[in-house]
Amino acid sequence: MPRASRLPKLVGLILAICGAGLLASRLNPANGQVVQTILFSTFSAIAILSAILMITNRNPVYSALWFAIATLGVCGLFLLQSAPFLAAATVIVYAGAIVVTFVFVIMLAQQSGATIYDQTSRQPMLATIFAFLLLAALLGTLESSTAEDFMFSDRSAAVAGANVLSQAANPDQLPTMMALGRSLFGDYLFAVELAGTLLLVATIGAIAIAPLRRRGTL
Amino acid sequence: MGDVESYLAVGGVLFVLGALGFFTRRNLIVMILSAELMLHGVSLSLVTFGHMHHSLEGQSFTIFILTVAACEAGLALSLILALYQKSKSLDVEFWSELREPDLPPPMLVDDAGLSPITPKPPINYPRLTPAGVVPEDLDKYDPRVQHAASQTADTPKEPPSPKDLKRSVHEHFVK
Repeated sequence: MPRASRLPKLVGLILAICGAGLLASRLNPANGQVVQTILFSTFSAIAILSAILMITNRNPVYSALWFAIATLGVCGLFLLQSAPFLAAATVIVYAGAIVVTFVFVIMLAQQSGATIYDQTSRQPMLATIFAFLLLAALLGTLESSTAEDFMFSDRSAAVAGANVLSQAANPDQLPTMMALGRSLFGDYLFAVELAGTLLLVATIGAIAIAPLRRRGTL
Repeated sequence: MGDVESYLAVGGVLFVLGALGFFTRRNLIVMILSAELMLHGVSLSLVTFGHMHHSLEGQSFTIFILTVAACEAGLALSLILALYQKSKSLDVEFWSELREPDLPPPMLVDDAGLSPITPKPPINYPRLTPAGVVPEDLDKYDPRVQHAASQTADTPKEPPSPKDLKRSVHEHFVK
């Protein structure tokens, strides 16, 4: 976190290296898929490193650019999870549109020089402690889970069948783009229409909110 | 940990980093960026779960998350612009007065003793010396002539010496 003193930067760096080493030693999948392991390590390292740099950078423009890099890392992970359309859509929407909009707004609203509120942060120590407590809880739950929890079994099929809202998973269904399109425009047709309406309403809202009233634009 | 858990762990790390950024940063734009980072973590988890069950629901949900995130970013940025036009500042603590009257004041950052960092002076690059004379029959009240004269008014007759230029660049980048 941005802060006035100089010492915690070094401490934070040491802690970050220790944490990354610990995480990497725990995360290595031991099933011998070397290429997948290398790609996974690269993309996740890119995503996490850029996320850290994003939230610690004092310049919001650099934060936006690091966010774009983190998006690219996450998209690489999407590709590894056999979701190519989602990866492409995320690159286009996030890195192409959202980040550019953010940079435009920073240009519109930024004051000259670095401001005070970019130099300091709210309760950095307390927030960091509680955030990493949350992370420890998440990772501890993952650690205590067994491999059977993540396998598709008869038990999970029975649980899914008991739920009215869920559909039985089809293990033969290949995650192709055609199947995704069928799922979107078949099972989720109303949701797609609703999302389109939401986009329209958000566009109208943004146009209504943003401009200056006294200039008479709306 | 296995394959699925690794992806879930990365998603969790991204989520927690986004939450940390949202809680601690004071710039409104960086706060919204952190919220988007949290959405990335959730999307990664959803896609991982879908991949685990050989189903497409995870990807479908993530596409809807993408849509809602785009709406959210557009609306949030226009709200930020509206707030900025009122306060001329992106500081979120400017709006800490907006709370219930019986609530205690929030834990604010003490800005005393901190001064905003002023931008560095521009580098004194060498400029071309003005050549020739201004013709006498030019209209002195023509704004274009005045503009041209003002452009060359403070230009030194001689270009800065290499030593001065080096010192100027050094001051700009080292300080």
